Amino acid sequence: MVNGYTAHSLAEALEIRAAHTVIPYAGGTDLMVENRPDPTYLFLGRVPELCGISEDEDYIRIGAAVTYTRALESPLVPPLMKAAVAQIAAPAIRNAGTFGGNLGNGSAKADSVLIEFVTDAKLRIASVRGERLVNVADFYQGRKQLDLASDELIVEILLPKPTPGERWHYEKVGGRNALAISRVSFAGVYEERDGRIVRLAAGFGAVAATVLRYPDLEAMLVGRTVEEARSLKPDLLAAYEGRMQLTRGRVSAEYRKAVCLRLLGAFLEEMGI
Amino acid sequence: MNGICFILNGAPVTYEGSAADRLLEVLRDTYRTTSVKCGCKEGECGACSVLLDGMLVNSCCVAMGAVEGRSVVTLEGYRETERFAVLSRAYGELSAVQCGFCTPGMILASEALLSQNPHPSEEEIREGLSGNLCRCTGYNAIIKAVSLAAEEGNGLW
Repeated sequence: MVNGYTAHSLAEALEIRAAHTVIPYAGGTDLMVENRPDPTYLFLGRVPELCGISEDEDYIRIGAAVTYTRALESPLVPPLMKAAVAQIAAPAIRNAGTFGGNLGNGSAKADSVLIEFVTDAKLRIASVRGERLVNVADFYQGRKQLDLASDELIVEILLPKPTPGERWHYEKVGGRNALAISRVSFAGVYEERDGRIVRLAAGFGAVAATVLRYPDLEAMLVGRTVEEARSLKPDLLAAYEGRMQLTRGRVSAEYRKAVCLRLLGAFLEEMGI
Repeated sequence: MNGICFILNGAPVTYEGSAADRLLEVLRDTYRTTSVKCGCKEGECGACSVLLDGMLVNSCCVAMGAVEGRSVVTLEGYRETERFAVLSRAYGELSAVQCGFCTPGMILASEALLSQNPHPSEEEIREGLSGNLCRCTGYNAIIKAVSLAAEEGNGLW
């Protein structure tokens, strides 16, 4: 094959990745739009280790080359992830686009990546040198800057299994229904036990160099009763307003911030706060 | 170097060019299957839709290396089928075609939808065709045509 390698196993893929300068190609939906000059691709769609969805005691494991359509069909994939993936583009893109590609492209607009941020997902990354687990938040070091060496491949995403009491909210704001690139996206996860908040996660996509989360602000409500959280809500929203440093994209930074705060407020309200 | 072997509209072919070449361009320029239209080259319009192993994809977003060993169906192949005849009649009857540029992609998106869901609701049809833009019809005629085809072709899908 000219300008390309096809791998049939993870071991083969890692050897090619180590020996040649290649661009990992999973679904192609971003790469082919980028249209890099004279690329050599490593085609990963035939690597069985990258194409499965499985579960263990703690995690739902999604292979990096699993397409969105396959994920929507799988009974294992959690509803919050499905809610986000169902709104990606349109059927033809969901038939090709993959979880690993969404990560590897490095964009803060990646709709599946937002869910990985709010659920504290981990990534399994491999090379001929060995493998490692990395938190998704650490994987993103800046705009299009990833913690991924030139001989490494993303193997799978480890999504923590949803807990029975968890509630969630997902919202994507785009310019149209289908085929929209997120202008602002929001995902929140919430859980209370015996009248107290035990978990709060709020993530914002498409508004800065990476997906944004503020664990210290989330912690303001953890351990509180719902009543206490209600009285803290104005302070919390003000703290977010002060902290969020948003960039201008297709829409202004001011618009993005206003929408982020409205989405956060609506999420808390839905949770009874 | 070995070529890239795949099945195009039922016939085995070998592509001798680069694995990085775009399926859309190879279909049009090498194999002259010009029903596949180039609208945006960004995966945004669906005019270049083809079936890859039966799944709808935008051929502008597929590199040739990803096609190796797989089956590609364009309208040139699909039009030989009974299902096409039903869709063609329905699109014609309801004037679901105006300039025609989106039509090959629309037909293949209709096939992909009906093969998954033989009796879709209006909402499901809109979702199934949501990646295919039409600048002439306003969509309603197309939605009705798919609905009519599902009725008339009862049992075909």
